[in-house]
Amino acid sequence: MTSATKPGRLTLVSGKGGVGKSAIATGLALYAHRQGRRVLVIDVTGAGGVAAHLGGGRLEFKPREVRPGLFALTIDRTKALAEYVKVQIGVPQFATMGPLARAFDALASTAPGVREVITLGKVLWEVQHGGYDLVVADCPPTGAIIGLLRAPRTIAELVPSGRVRHQAEWMSQLLARKTTELVLVTLAEELPTVETEETMALLAAENLVEPPTIVTNRVLSRLETDAKGTGVAAEAAILHRSLYRNQQDWIKRLQPARKLPYLFGLLTPGEVAARMADAWEHSESGSEA
Amino acid sequence: MTTRAANKTKAIVVTGAGGVGKTTFAAGLAVKAASEGKRTLVLTVDPAKRLAGALGLELGGEPRQHPEQPLLWGAMLDAAASWQSLARRHADPAVADRLVNNEFFQAATVHFPASQSYAAAEEAANYLDARVWDLVVIDTPPAAGGIDFFTSPAQMADLVGGRLLRLLTGGRIPGRNFFFNRGARPMLRFADQLLGSDLLERVGQFLMDLRTTYDGVASRSREIDSHLRKAATVVVTTADPAPLTEATRFFLELPDVAALPVAVVFNRSLPDRWATTPPLPAKSVASTNLALAENLTRWAAESQRQHDARVEFAARYKAPLATVPWLADAPNDLESLLDLLQQTEGLPSLW
Repeated sequence: MTSATKPGRLTLVSGKGGVGKSAIATGLALYAHRQGRRVLVIDVTGAGGVAAHLGGGRLEFKPREVRPGLFALTIDRTKALAEYVKVQIGVPQFATMGPLARAFDALASTAPGVREVITLGKVLWEVQHGGYDLVVADCPPTGAIIGLLRAPRTIAELVPSGRVRHQAEWMSQLLARKTTELVLVTLAEELPTVETEETMALLAAENLVEPPTIVTNRVLSRLETDAKGTGVAAEAAILHRSLYRNQQDWIKRLQPARKLPYLFGLLTPGEVAARMADAWEHSESGSEA
Repeated sequence: MTTRAANKTKAIVVTGAGGVGKTTFAAGLAVKAASEGKRTLVLTVDPAKRLAGALGLELGGEPRQHPEQPLLWGAMLDAAASWQSLARRHADPAVADRLVNNEFFQAATVHFPASQSYAAAEEAANYLDARVWDLVVIDTPPAAGGIDFFTSPAQMADLVGGRLLRLLTGGRIPGRNFFFNRGARPMLRFADQLLGSDLLERVGQFLMDLRTTYDGVASRSREIDSHLRKAATVVVTTADPAPLTEATRFFLELPDVAALPVAVVFNRSLPDRWATTPPLPAKSVASTNLALAENLTRWAAESQRQHDARVEFAARYKAPLATVPWLADAPNDLESLLDLLQQTEGLPSLW
């Protein structure tokens, strides 16, 4: 382990299920990479969303350079545990101790925070030692994000001693930095808006990271005409205007830092991520440096 | 609650990925069934505020009769409360107390999404056994795209049956004093180093307590399983890739635990005629309105994409497809819920 490198920025991307987290996380990584930064994108959920949007096959636990300067990896629970134990705790032979590893996994399935701290530990280790300018993490949905971010504190409360507890401290510090950003992706609809507000309230109470950046996805632009039209053009205009009006109400309520556009028609996941990278470059921003 | 007992209660499980509108559709189905004279209960999970208002729902309470529609009852599932009542039903009072107050028990709803689904399934089964309603419409919790709801009885029996406990102790179910002998065992010594001394013991105690619920949970989960096999499953989706992938799982993974879906409902559908309308000739576009024509072009592409997705799905999986039009305003009263179902095309008869 080297400690000479300066820790990079970290952007964690979460949001209600189905709002487009993976596309946006991958798009953000592509955008930063276009700016010439050395970027790592991590599929924290292991669900394969990042791999689909990057194209070029499955990802492994070991970072792979998918194009020069852009790296990607996916979290694998068993490997994360073995690496955690080896790197953080200093027990190198753990991976070969089958029954022990299975027993520990059973333990980690039951005790809150243990599994999360191992996942988060991998992400933060890459931030601290990987030598990247930016690490983008495609995280679990809002229902689980507090549990993930809170894991170091949960462990500290649960475990009075032991090496895992000792590790929890540097994690909490790294999360609380100004250069760690939490992006909550939402839609301009009722349920995602309410869920985002609830998550923001919980985050504010826990005070684990800086206040989140809200990004609203699938935003329609205003129709540049008041004409009514005829036939199907009129029908499409009516739907568009009603949807637009409703979206604007939810946008006013949540005041997102960024709005990303609704993408019409058939696109591959790779095209969606590229369009998200464009949108990240051109969308309004209240927070990006 | 009611005076008449129904002979046989039919269950309709409305499932699918999160965010596709399945709660609204489940509510619409229930309103329609009630309007056709069926005594109907709708069980929902986490409805939008206005929808809950429209159904007169309160979290965790007993089913409530709708003030305007006497054949419609609604109840909202509270996963945390059901999970607690499950411990109370299946464990000795003293063990149940210890379980409910246990930190790991409280965390288990997060760690085992199946436990939430199981709690919902058990609650639904209780209402089916009550034989008070002709129809119970169940809106599934969003975990694992709804598949969990069907697999949860088996997963739950496995969990309380001690799978984790056996892994923890290397294959056997230990006596209570097992955890006091940790000095002798490398696993325990190692966990000790890693996590501190008493965590392992606390986890072990919890798993042993949980195990005492096994007989109750195992026999109840078989009954729930048989209810779920007889239920009519309706999968709700949109034409977007992510929810569609979840929808395919009900055909690929479900056969072992439930009947194939009786319908796949595509919500937020655009009219096919938007896609099939030939593009306007350039001259007439200029003479009408460019912005309107461009808007139609975008929505026509969207309509075409939806159409293709439905055709592909229908070719691959044999299930009746239904379409619900894309409405700008979500239904939020009985009338608009009924209207939503009246605008739904292709839905087979479900009751």
